[in-house]
Amino acid sequence: MSLQATTQRGAPRWWEGDLVHDFIRSPLALVAAASTLLIVAAAMGAGLIAPYDSNDPASANVIDARLPPGSSGMTGNYYLLGTDPQGRDMLSAILFGTRMSLMVGASSVLLAALIGIVLGLVCGYFRGLLDAVIMRIADVQLSFPAILIALLIDGITRTVVDRATHDRLAIPVLVVAIAASFWVQYARTVRGLVLVERGKEYVLAAMVTGVSPLRIIASHIRPNVMGSVLVIATINLALAILTEATLSFVGVGVPPTQPSLGSLVRIGNEFLFSGDWWISIGPGAMLVALCLSVNLLADWLRDALNPRLSNG
Amino acid sequence: MATFVLQRLSQALFVLLAAALASFVLLRYVGDPVNNMVGQAASLADREAMRHALGLDQPVILQFAQLLRDVATGDLGVSYRFGIPVSKLLMERLPATLELSVCAMLIATLLGVPLGVWTALHRHSVVSHIVLAASLIGVALPTFLIGIILILVFSVWLGWLPSFGRGTTVALGHSWTTGLLTVSGLKALVLPSLTLGLFQMTLIMRLVRAEMLEVLRTDYIKFARARGLPEATINYDHALRNTLIPVITVIGLQFGNIFAFSIVVETVFQWPGLGLLVIQSIQFADVPLLASYLVLIAMGFALINLAVDLLYVAIDPRVRADTMLARTAS
Repeated sequence: MSLQATTQRGAPRWWEGDLVHDFIRSPLALVAAASTLLIVAAAMGAGLIAPYDSNDPASANVIDARLPPGSSGMTGNYYLLGTDPQGRDMLSAILFGTRMSLMVGASSVLLAALIGIVLGLVCGYFRGLLDAVIMRIADVQLSFPAILIALLIDGITRTVVDRATHDRLAIPVLVVAIAASFWVQYARTVRGLVLVERGKEYVLAAMVTGVSPLRIIASHIRPNVMGSVLVIATINLALAILTEATLSFVGVGVPPTQPSLGSLVRIGNEFLFSGDWWISIGPGAMLVALCLSVNLLADWLRDALNPRLSNG
Repeated sequence: MATFVLQRLSQALFVLLAAALASFVLLRYVGDPVNNMVGQAASLADREAMRHALGLDQPVILQFAQLLRDVATGDLGVSYRFGIPVSKLLMERLPATLELSVCAMLIATLLGVPLGVWTALHRHSVVSHIVLAASLIGVALPTFLIGIILILVFSVWLGWLPSFGRGTTVALGHSWTTGLLTVSGLKALVLPSLTLGLFQMTLIMRLVRAEMLEVLRTDYIKFARARGLPEATINYDHALRNTLIPVITVIGLQFGNIFAFSIVVETVFQWPGLGLLVIQSIQFADVPLLASYLVLIAMGFALINLAVDLLYVAIDPRVRADTMLARTAS
């Protein structure tokens, strides 16, 4: 809809914009984008490309447990990245694990952005007592490391609900816990931008012509703060994936029955001393590759959207 | 200045109250405390007596007041899992975590500051570029993976260093056990503190480098050079000293992060500190322990933040001026 409108006004089409121009000229961004895309595609297509279905217990052959990479098992299966203690194919487990990590990471970033944007818009536009209270809470929360907050929320929820309920709710709880530890950044940034936008003519004009406050917030101011939100969201995606992996690693995240990158490393950690390094190094390497690609992409996006920062 | 301190103090108090409230809700409403303490065979009258003895028949406000009194006197209840007072458990575990955290911070500072200075002074050398690129990868490596790689290389493959526990510890005074005085204790400390310190080191290094480059561009450095002062005096006496002001603040603030990530490191290395205790108490639903940890950690963070804020004001007169201006403007 909006794309059509711009084209009709004769404005540059999206592929002629600065963003695309910058992108094609930056080799690092291209590499980062390519590897991010590759990992995301492989993870999303795990059901199609993984040699075995890790979520299906029948695919595990205990007889093939803890085989090193590149070996063929007693069952005649070939394992490119080896197998885990239950005889699951590591390559398949990594692909399914990446899918889980990406889904948890992306959902928590979306939820955090949603909470942060709404609170930031409302606080910045209406100010007053609500603003004071929410921003004070944000200040306090900011003085605690995000990972600690996610850990405590997740851990306390675990103790509150019984085990069966928890296993069913583990992933939503994890998403909420990570989102709750990241919303502050969005809220503060959006609020700051709203304070600036509020004084501009187009907002004043909308106010004078009697547009309702909610409409001003949602359709006049919001589009102008989304650029910064996008940058924070990209940076946060890598952080959220790392947080999920860390929580799953210490044993309070994704339940062991559904592999994520963190819980796979955790399984491997127990067998490190037998010299079975591939069980934790494989998923670990995938985690690093994913986070590094997303981080590089985020760096480039920040510089491209905000040229003032690029020399900093 | 006085208002600034008061404002910070009130914020710290607010955090503490919120943590106390959260732990109160946890203690009071998660499970039935009476059920957790009496056996299966207890009669209804026994339960009622227990309820009365614990003060659970009193109004909620009074119960909360009682909790605050208990916390203030160091009475944090009894752990469900260990059956001994929580305060005793926490005090037993605190030295391990503190020694680990302080060592990690020392490693991060003692390596990070010189590396930062060196890469700033030799900006165009190949080594600087390599160090900077390595630090980028260091940022992307999650803490637990660093730990696993270090264990794999130094314990499993080379067999040089132990990979779990604290080694032999020595009692110091009444309640402090230290691993710093025995060879096995020191050896056990190397890998965990390196793991915990590595990320902070890259952070400090990059910060020192950026600040140093900034300072080296200023007029007073050019003037010092024009006066013909020796290069070493300019670099270390003039530049480095002014670089360190923000660095000290960041080091202070990073203590909070170190504390949080010590949970991860303690899990990797089975280090018998507070973090490992908390992870285990989450898995065993040990509510009193978790509730006390909440209060303890809020207290720790309130103290750290207060100290850093005050330090900042004490070191940098500009902040004082800024807060004054902000106050008169609003």
